[in-house]
Amino acid sequence: MRLFKEEPKVKFINKRYYAFALSGLIILAGLVLFFTRGFNMGIDFSGGTLIEVSFLRSTSIPQVRSILNKINLGDAQITRIGSENKFFIKTLASLKKLNLANTVKLEDVEEYELVAREIRSGMLDAAETDQVAAGKIDLNNTAEGEIARFLRGKALSDEDAQASAKIIIDLRKSNTGVIADFSALERAGIKHRIMTVLRDNTFLSKFTFLSVEFVGPQVGQDLRRKAALACIWALIGMLVYIAFRFKFLYGLSGILTLAHDVLVSLSFILFFNVEMSLQVVAALLTIVGYSINDTIVVFDRLRDNLKIMKKDDLEAILDKSLNQTLSRSIFTSLTVFLTVMSLYLFGGEVIRPFAFTMLVGVIAGSYSTIYQSCSWLKVWEKYFLKRKKS
Amino acid sequence: MDKSMTWKIGLIIAVVALSIWLLWPLNKTINLGLDLKGGMHLIMEVVTDEALVIQTDISATQLKSMFKDGSIKYEKIVRKGFNRIEITGSLLDDERRIKDILDDDFRDWTSTFGGSLISLTLRPNIEQQLRDQSVDQALETIRNRVDEFGVAEPTIQKEGMAGDKLLIDLPGVDNPERVKTLIKSTAMLEFRSVVSGPFQTEEAALKDYNGQLPEDLEIVRTNPRRLDKGFYVLKAATVVPGKDLKSARRAQDEYGAPAVGFSFNSQGAAQFEKFTAANIGKLLSIVLDDRVESVATIQDVISGDGIIHGRFTVDEVDDIVLVLRSGALPAPLKYIEERTIGPSLGADSIRKGLMACLGGLLLVVLFMLVYYRAAGLNSILALLLNMLILMGIMAYFKATLSMPGIAGILLSIGMAVDANVLIFERIREELNMGKSPKSAIDAGFKKAFWTIFDSNLTTVISAVFLFQFGTGPIKGFAVTLIIGIAASMFTAIFVSRVIFDLTYGRRKKLAKISI
Repeated sequence: MRLFKEEPKVKFINKRYYAFALSGLIILAGLVLFFTRGFNMGIDFSGGTLIEVSFLRSTSIPQVRSILNKINLGDAQITRIGSENKFFIKTLASLKKLNLANTVKLEDVEEYELVAREIRSGMLDAAETDQVAAGKIDLNNTAEGEIARFLRGKALSDEDAQASAKIIIDLRKSNTGVIADFSALERAGIKHRIMTVLRDNTFLSKFTFLSVEFVGPQVGQDLRRKAALACIWALIGMLVYIAFRFKFLYGLSGILTLAHDVLVSLSFILFFNVEMSLQVVAALLTIVGYSINDTIVVFDRLRDNLKIMKKDDLEAILDKSLNQTLSRSIFTSLTVFLTVMSLYLFGGEVIRPFAFTMLVGVIAGSYSTIYQSCSWLKVWEKYFLKRKKS
Repeated sequence: MDKSMTWKIGLIIAVVALSIWLLWPLNKTINLGLDLKGGMHLIMEVVTDEALVIQTDISATQLKSMFKDGSIKYEKIVRKGFNRIEITGSLLDDERRIKDILDDDFRDWTSTFGGSLISLTLRPNIEQQLRDQSVDQALETIRNRVDEFGVAEPTIQKEGMAGDKLLIDLPGVDNPERVKTLIKSTAMLEFRSVVSGPFQTEEAALKDYNGQLPEDLEIVRTNPRRLDKGFYVLKAATVVPGKDLKSARRAQDEYGAPAVGFSFNSQGAAQFEKFTAANIGKLLSIVLDDRVESVATIQDVISGDGIIHGRFTVDEVDDIVLVLRSGALPAPLKYIEERTIGPSLGADSIRKGLMACLGGLLLVVLFMLVYYRAAGLNSILALLLNMLILMGIMAYFKATLSMPGIAGILLSIGMAVDANVLIFERIREELNMGKSPKSAIDAGFKKAFWTIFDSNLTTVISAVFLFQFGTGPIKGFAVTLIIGIAASMFTAIFVSRVIFDLTYGRRKKLAKISI
């Protein structure tokens, strides 16, 4: 099968101003958003606490917010994950805000731990709070080792304690993370004798914290600077390498094209308010390294064609090179696009910002190779051709 | 089959065999990251300045006693900042002898003399050495504690450019406050005389001193878990330093309540005996990590053993005993980052990661088969081999597979076939120009080589920058990508060529190839 029966003869270069205008518009819109709204910074960069919580029963964002309101965290950012009863809760809250500063403050507990602990106890209903006060543990929010240790303390043998803890955790793994009631545990094979101990000393809350993440405020600033530096250094690396393998002006066109891809990706991140995190930076750097590939393919061909087509003018040579390599530019990007698409669709919420950035970056990279890389060479034709002759 | 073909095939079989051998058995060789397995990830900074303060304090004390021994008069010897000592007084008369002392016993310090002021500064290389040492020691202490606590397969390593951060990965711990307290405790156990207290507030404690506390006293707050919330005024100097503690164990007080038992070494025992004998009837405090844990009246001369009683639970006693046994941290720790991933989330991520990989692979395979037919099959064989080598190398380096790592594998799939696309497109082009299939294949591989090399190298360059910049999982992503690309240079170019040669090589006349 072939995309083009014959070599295509599209005139790309004479449409360069439309292409520049389109890209310029996208980037300009991105800039406006950047200065008005800014990035939706993830905790990697902003610092703060991020909790992923799963509820047993169907729960809505307003319901989660009203729970958080009780502990003065109503302004936390709450995001629903897909259509499940799972939510991200992101907050920069400090103790002051929680009105905890004046209560008994345990000096050996970090502030953010109190925030997470406070949210956790805020989610318990009155009956469950009483159970905690009575020294019972919550099987939906306790780690395997802790459960085993607790059961050993209730005069169970090591073997029994460990086996039961494992069954409990496995059940949580297979469910949405929340065990509904004790009968589910019984069905999962916990012995009757042990069930009595569990019923007497533990309880099952209606939610579980799937993950709790905290990043200190000082990390974020440092990271932002380092992320920007890493991107800039990678771009310079590309410039140097292409200038070395080709010529300086190729290198310059190359990194202008790359900078375009990064800026367009950033703009789309702003348009869709995608969370800015370490993995997004990883995606941007990957785009820097990857999206130059088809540009190199075109430049390779261009270098050959400049030798063969000595009599033609530059525009014709550029168009010819682009057309000759067009199917390559499209299909190399397509294969990566397909894999990233799969990641976006199936990879889950955690990796989606990465996949989104890669998707945009790969498309932008393919487009910019065709419409920008050679157009830049046309823009400084005077210098480019002079250098070629000398 | 000619000779070169034999060794090429031999090489490929050897690589396949090696990869399988490295990967076997799969569940032992591929380490899952915390985001897939569940557990706790901590990054902590060792506050090395504090370690220097302690060292400088020790040196200042040493200097005082040497001056005393040599009956050199001075007004004050004080620590300034974390790495300087200042000696004041009319020092000119004894300048010669001071210089001798400094030359003999304070070689780690540079000194400047200025009549009535001598200031010593720790040499930068010594300072760095002390910082490194304190980080190493902290790492070792934490490892002991974590091992004693019984976490399976923990990762504890240095992290960050300055080398003052520790990365601690504890799989399977997801309700971790107890572990964190355990790790963070500096385990500085001190016995100090109580001057006055308890006070409700710091201001009340200061009242007796007109708001200005003498240098040899200190206000220390209570640990509210053990004592009522409040403050004590304590002597700054410790009766027996923590290093003279020989052992700690779980004990019971006279009412059978849990308590921490401890014993001193002979030096500590002698000191403690002397002190208690002289202070019967007075109050003694036990301070752990700058919190008053217990205050008791000295009723008798105590020498080798003692217990700390307070409102302990059995677990708390166990934890205190554990940290006392594992040794003190040389400097306090600061939490920089913490991520706790529950087991169900990890299991969910593995499912989704696998789905995404299979989906991506399937799409690419379909595309290559439809678009390049038999040649597509060739590239798929190469791709599968690429995956095998990638996993094999990851197993060899004991790399950890995390969610970003899975993304890296997926991208490698997409990028590895790029090389095949470039080659196949070139072969098609050569065929269009009227070349015979054989020479078209030849030219296709030859001419595409440098393009592939260049484009892969640029990806590696930016992956290296990413590796430099990123932490844990992001580093994993960069590594996966680099290995995947390197493996694709072998599979897409070398292996794919061999498959072409095997398919078409033996036919004398080759009129048409499926591409």
